[in-house]
Amino acid sequence: MITQEKYRSKVKKLLADGSVKMVIGYSPGSTADRRRPLFIRSFEEADQLVLDSNCIANLSGYLVTEGLLSDEKRVAIFLRPEGIRSLNILAAESQLNVDQIIIFGFDSIGREVNSLPGEHADEFSEFIGSIKENPPEKSREPLLYQLEQMNPQERFAFWKEEFSRCIKCYACRQSCPMCYCRRCVVDSNQPQWVNTSSHTLGNFEWNIVRAFHLAGRCVGCGNCDRSCPVNIPLRLINAKMSEEVLGSFNHFAGMSTTQEPVLASFKKEDSETFIL
Amino acid sequence: MTENIQSVHNNIYKPAIMKIVGRHDEAPGVKTLKLEFQDPDDHEQFKNNFRTGMFGLYGVYGEGESTFCVASPETRKEYIECTFRQSGRVTSALADADIGDLITFRGPYGNRFPIENFQGKNLLFVSGGIALPPTRSVIWSCLDQREKFGKVTIVYGARTVADLVYKHELEEWQNRADVDLVLTVDPGGESPDWKNKVGFVPTVLEDIAPSPENCIAVICGPPIMIKFTLISLKKLGFEEQNVYTTLENRMKCGVGKCGRCNVGSVYVCKEGPVFTAAEVSCMPAADL
Amino acid sequence: MTRILFSDKLDNCVTRWQSAGFTVIGPVTKDAFSSYTAVEHASDFDLGIVLPDRSLKELFFPQTEPMLRYTLKQQSINTEDFTPPSGKKLIFGVRPCDAAGLSIDDPLFGWDYKDEYWFQRRNNSVIVTIACTKADDFCLCTSLKLAPDSTTGSDILLRPLENNNGWHAEELTDRGREALLAIEEFLQEGSEPTAPMAVVPEMFDLDTCVAWLQNPENFESKFWKDISMRCIGCGSCTYLCPTCHCFDIQDEGDTYSGIRRKNWDSCSFALFTMHTSGHNPRSTQSARWRQRIMHKFNYFPGKFSVNSCSGCGRCSRQCPVDMGITETLQKISTLHS
Repeated sequence: MITQEKYRSKVKKLLADGSVKMVIGYSPGSTADRRRPLFIRSFEEADQLVLDSNCIANLSGYLVTEGLLSDEKRVAIFLRPEGIRSLNILAAESQLNVDQIIIFGFDSIGREVNSLPGEHADEFSEFIGSIKENPPEKSREPLLYQLEQMNPQERFAFWKEEFSRCIKCYACRQSCPMCYCRRCVVDSNQPQWVNTSSHTLGNFEWNIVRAFHLAGRCVGCGNCDRSCPVNIPLRLINAKMSEEVLGSFNHFAGMSTTQEPVLASFKKEDSETFIL
Repeated sequence: MTENIQSVHNNIYKPAIMKIVGRHDEAPGVKTLKLEFQDPDDHEQFKNNFRTGMFGLYGVYGEGESTFCVASPETRKEYIECTFRQSGRVTSALADADIGDLITFRGPYGNRFPIENFQGKNLLFVSGGIALPPTRSVIWSCLDQREKFGKVTIVYGARTVADLVYKHELEEWQNRADVDLVLTVDPGGESPDWKNKVGFVPTVLEDIAPSPENCIAVICGPPIMIKFTLISLKKLGFEEQNVYTTLENRMKCGVGKCGRCNVGSVYVCKEGPVFTAAEVSCMPAADL
Repeated sequence: MTRILFSDKLDNCVTRWQSAGFTVIGPVTKDAFSSYTAVEHASDFDLGIVLPDRSLKELFFPQTEPMLRYTLKQQSINTEDFTPPSGKKLIFGVRPCDAAGLSIDDPLFGWDYKDEYWFQRRNNSVIVTIACTKADDFCLCTSLKLAPDSTTGSDILLRPLENNNGWHAEELTDRGREALLAIEEFLQEGSEPTAPMAVVPEMFDLDTCVAWLQNPENFESKFWKDISMRCIGCGSCTYLCPTCHCFDIQDEGDTYSGIRRKNWDSCSFALFTMHTSGHNPRSTQSARWRQRIMHKFNYFPGKFSVNSCSGCGRCSRQCPVDMGITETLQKISTLHS
């Protein structure tokens, strides 16, 4: 609560002195443990700000809302470490000017919220490097071990079952800060790359295409997984892809605002020579 | 809901098969196809239902369906003519289709121009660019029973001379004593031998200043032309209920179910596409 | 005296209905996720949940439905209809909001042009609804002038007994009577006390909201922008909604053979109304959210005299950014029309 009060006054100060035009944070949601995105432009809105361990959603995707940053004014945003990493990727992929962003970095252990020191994305590089070197204990999904034990047929059957529930609402895409394309490949119809129908084949196509587009870019914020209204464990696919990319290319997504996209850059020492 | 139907004997999404019997390049990217029904039942259904102003969904299997008006008049129902600009997936496939090829048609759908109410009145047609086809359906529907109507004035404009569609018919209308045709192109769009007007449609309309007395106006064109033409007509003294126009929106079903063509509470596919200016002015402008 | 179906006889009923030719369907939970699913035994039902995660509409209007198969051969096109599965279905344990959802969409699929894909399924189904004895924070049927024991759209309404060991069975239609007749020997006459209905507080005054929505001046109110700022434009609310009916028509295949399908589509998507020219009548997310609310509470009732919302609350329950009809209408009800 002390953190929250401190942030409310910080936010008001930034708005009052014109340093930012908006602060993106969290407000109470429709149930006790839900939090919803909040766009603060006034003191009244600042008073709705909450910051606690239930503030989980990665809000960085809102930064690429059409027109938000086009006036070159600054915006502040509350971000967890994954959020800062996704912001770095957005900057590295030229989707925004990171100098327009003021970061309120935070993390939580249990119910306790900690502030992360720094304001500009570059100030967090060392901290993110430390996450790469010492990944937090908590979380390798038990299901991932199970999936690795399966043979390809079993794994295919597992995902077929999971994807059979997909309804192609695209909540995974829309909630993902990395899915910023104005026109997604599945929405193109000349040519029609991907079936739009939500049947077994169409659902496989969609989810696998998305997994590949996120390989080396996913920061594991979990937005897709939490957004999925039919409980497909999307985090597993993306977590596995991240591990593969880390193992193969020593690439940890979102290290800095200048990190080269791993699957869109080429180095002489890359082992595959097909491109030459 | 007591009947127990065991097959889709009346599948409203099943199109009629049409053969392309004519094909004409109108303007860059704009083509007219002349289509003949393959199944006499489909043709009969069309003959019973088609009135000028209605639209259809023209399709190429494997690509999909696209919505545009029936450009031929209700006085000529042996065939369907449609005119379209090649822009998306379906219209590209239609543009590639050749004489003898088969395409699909669903319709006719929507409401119509109530031309029986136009009888005895002067008619003013105002049209721009690729929007002549819907107007042309009404024009011929009236010219084919010319004696029932008063003075007929047609104002048609396009960006350039090349963009004018139905050039052969424009010539025909120009030569008719019982039709006043005023052609115009946007400034800069004229060719060296262009003898007609140069200027935007609303401006030209105000120059020729047709009398609103006992007159019905039918206007079709891009939204921006419609907007300014409505202002001009108002200046000239036309009342909104005597001005008819058509709206177009993206459609998939054409029959009021797929949920995308509404402007406010109005379903364009069922309550339109023909509206009076009075009706349009009641619609939320932000949704047009 | 009414007829009572005791829980311990339910499996007999399921078997009996199955042998009468019905596919028996009901709420089933698998991997912490629930939907109306075909069952073999009564024990497969999960009748303890507030309502299934997925709505009932998809049994009548599936997310993808083949309509036509086309083949082109030497200058002739052959088009065959796909007919919806013609088997009889008995759907047990439907929630009143889901049942009402079906009857809300009947006039839409039936006006002028009758969509047989919807009506064939409707005609072949018996809806056995169980009145709700529990609700959660998102239930809002009472705000929509429905109730935990509404009969709209149901063929049979079951009211849970106080002892939680069965239901009072009320037949509502001929189809309901036939379904009860088939299991007559498992029913008992009696009048046990029934359990109290779920308490679903009224979240807003619907008439106030509708008056505000109908006022043309509010169409361009700043309210729409503010309320929808956090909307990410996914289709989750529309796809879980028991009444949202929008769809797309898509061909799969090539010029020579393929299938034309009817697929769910959503007014939340930017491309939904986009013209080929690039013009988009609903070009912002706020215009799209306004469309959804207006459609449900202004346009649809204007056409069909019924709101296109049965108060299940799935839109709010599942929204990734905690939006939904409840929040929007609650806020509207506090605005001055």
